[in-house]
Amino acid sequence: MDILDEIKKDYVQDLIRKSKRADERDFFSYRKIKVEKGIFPAAEGSARVRLGDTQVVVGVKLGVGEPFSDRPDEGVLSTSAELLPLASPTFEPGPPDESAIELARVVDRGIRSSSAVNLHSLFIEDNLVWALFLDIYVLDHDGNLIDASALAAMAALSNAKLPKYEDGKILRDESSGGLKIDNKAVTCTFAKIDSKIVLDPSLDEEKAMDARLTIATTPTNICAIQKGGKGGFLIDEISELIDLSFKNGDGLRKLIE
Amino acid sequence: MVKIVVPGEVISEAPKPTNFAFVENGKTYSSALALFDEVNFRLIPLEGAYIPNINDIVVGVISEVKFAGYTVDIKSPYMGFLPGKELRVELQLGDVVSAKVREVDEVKNIILSFPRKLIGGEILEILSVKVPRVIGKKNSMLDMIKEVTKSEILVGKNGRVWIKGGNSAVAAGAILKIEKEAHILGLTDRINAFLKEESKS
Amino acid sequence: MEKMKLIIDGKRLDGRDLSELRPIKIQAGILNKADGSAYIEWGKNKILAAVYGPRECIPHHEASPYRAVIHCRYSMAPFSSLEEHGRSGPSRRSMEISKVIREVFENVIITEQFPKTAIDIFIEILQADGGTRCAGITAAAVALANAGIPMKDLPCAVAAVKIDGQIGVDSAKLEDNFGEGDMPIAIATRKNELLLIQMDGMMSKEEFLKAISMAVEASSKINALQTQALRELYSTKIGEIGPEESD
Repeated sequence: MDILDEIKKDYVQDLIRKSKRADERDFFSYRKIKVEKGIFPAAEGSARVRLGDTQVVVGVKLGVGEPFSDRPDEGVLSTSAELLPLASPTFEPGPPDESAIELARVVDRGIRSSSAVNLHSLFIEDNLVWALFLDIYVLDHDGNLIDASALAAMAALSNAKLPKYEDGKILRDESSGGLKIDNKAVTCTFAKIDSKIVLDPSLDEEKAMDARLTIATTPTNICAIQKGGKGGFLIDEISELIDLSFKNGDGLRKLIE
Repeated sequence: MVKIVVPGEVISEAPKPTNFAFVENGKTYSSALALFDEVNFRLIPLEGAYIPNINDIVVGVISEVKFAGYTVDIKSPYMGFLPGKELRVELQLGDVVSAKVREVDEVKNIILSFPRKLIGGEILEILSVKVPRVIGKKNSMLDMIKEVTKSEILVGKNGRVWIKGGNSAVAAGAILKIEKEAHILGLTDRINAFLKEESKS
Repeated sequence: MEKMKLIIDGKRLDGRDLSELRPIKIQAGILNKADGSAYIEWGKNKILAAVYGPRECIPHHEASPYRAVIHCRYSMAPFSSLEEHGRSGPSRRSMEISKVIREVFENVIITEQFPKTAIDIFIEILQADGGTRCAGITAAAVALANAGIPMKDLPCAVAAVKIDGQIGVDSAKLEDNFGEGDMPIAIATRKNELLLIQMDGMMSKEEFLKAISMAVEASSKINALQTQALRELYSTKIGEIGPEESD
């Protein structure tokens, strides 16, 4: 972290101590969220999410392939994320680093654990299933890439069309319907700054935070949790954040209807 | 009462700051894997790297000859530096020297002074946390080893020991035995017995 | 395909109760060259942890003038799985695990004591049977203590699990594969603070709270084993421990 970052960190922590945030939000409010679906017609599904100044697009592509040997009647879901160098002065070109890998795996976990996409519905025939590729492309980084990406991923999935598979060929111009979505999983990410907790950290808040907790939920269940950063959380704190996640989840789900 | 404590173990229900401990929420915890001497309320670490302090005497090896001086390997995560301009000896890569730690700043730049070349002999490396036991109270342990073996011995605070002449093998054996058994009572007698036994053969 | 039953007559497939841990054995200081090391057998897991440091920080540009930098590498040997040969080299999974484990130790290690250096933690999974990151963290903490690295706590880790609709602790691989929820946690016992928490599966809030409390309870048993392993390393048959006079 350079000197400017250190100064910003002190500024953010100071504000938090006074129960304020730099953009004057409540501790548990999201920044302005805008969701657009189907922005890349070449992909089978796509979406763009703007969360404050953070911008993420997700593309869904379908292919066919062999199922995993221990799940022969299920389709294959594969999620990856790229922190594009254009998204931030700190992102370098190259293979995904631990942050990009964590981002992809956390978003994937929420979707997979909740069976957001019904993987059984992707079964074609013996030893042949649809393979679903979710690609997260971060375009502009101003904090909370996880929530923006998870929301965009869920929006892209809910907008995706399954191509037709006939006589050994994928017919991408024709559709056999939308993907079967059983659950809409959404994530809420919290940052712990100076022992206080806020929802939807901006980039400056992420630089000042000690730890981060992401909770993915369906309307009734927790389907993924990921803690990041070197700080810790107490059980009571997590319990409260779970309640807040359920509370905010409905609002987020409405945005991707 | 002495026992082995681990990092994060409570050593006092009251705030009592001491070396190798930290105070949190009114209690005192050990930060080290150490012997906890309840009577004297002190912690004696059983392991650990050497972090230089001012006035330490160390045994180092010249690892780089630079324009302004010499970089010295002092068996620490930090390299020492011997400024060239005050030196009267010329040193070479690989020379073994004893030196005094003159300065340690907040980012752990280590400045050494008063280098003395150690010629010949052998170098033994032990854990720096065991050095006080090798030296003993008022040099008693070290003197005992020197007397029996007639070796020249210089014990660097950094855990490097230079041994020359005399029955250096026995001296080295005694020092390694101290390193291994430093935390077990009766050490002085055991080393005494060891020195006598080894000197016979 | 009928779902496999993981609990029969109140007992798990390996005969354990829901709150029972698999057998755990920890040995400290088993490697020569590393500054600190520990070996753990946890059920069928066989895991080696080693520590080098504080030492020169490589790459240099990562070094901090304020504190030691912590590096952690979790890696699975190609022969570690009960099934096929795995590939060598880091996978995306092992990179994520390396990150979350590193974050546990970044919390407890008193890094300000060693500016400009690195402390390198290596966790090698030699044989895997579920819960490897938890066993790895448990061993690495012992290795760090063995290396004399100052820490505020000796963290340990264990996973809570949801199988056949019930909450338990410490899942073996089969339970991982066919269960409904897996939640590894790492805990700093002096403050009961969670330094690692991940979950995948489906749990209600009540199930989550039960899982956490069972895991926390199990962790105190694991912590005792870590302490015992360290004490055993220095205990000896030749005499009683104690400091003698030294200046």
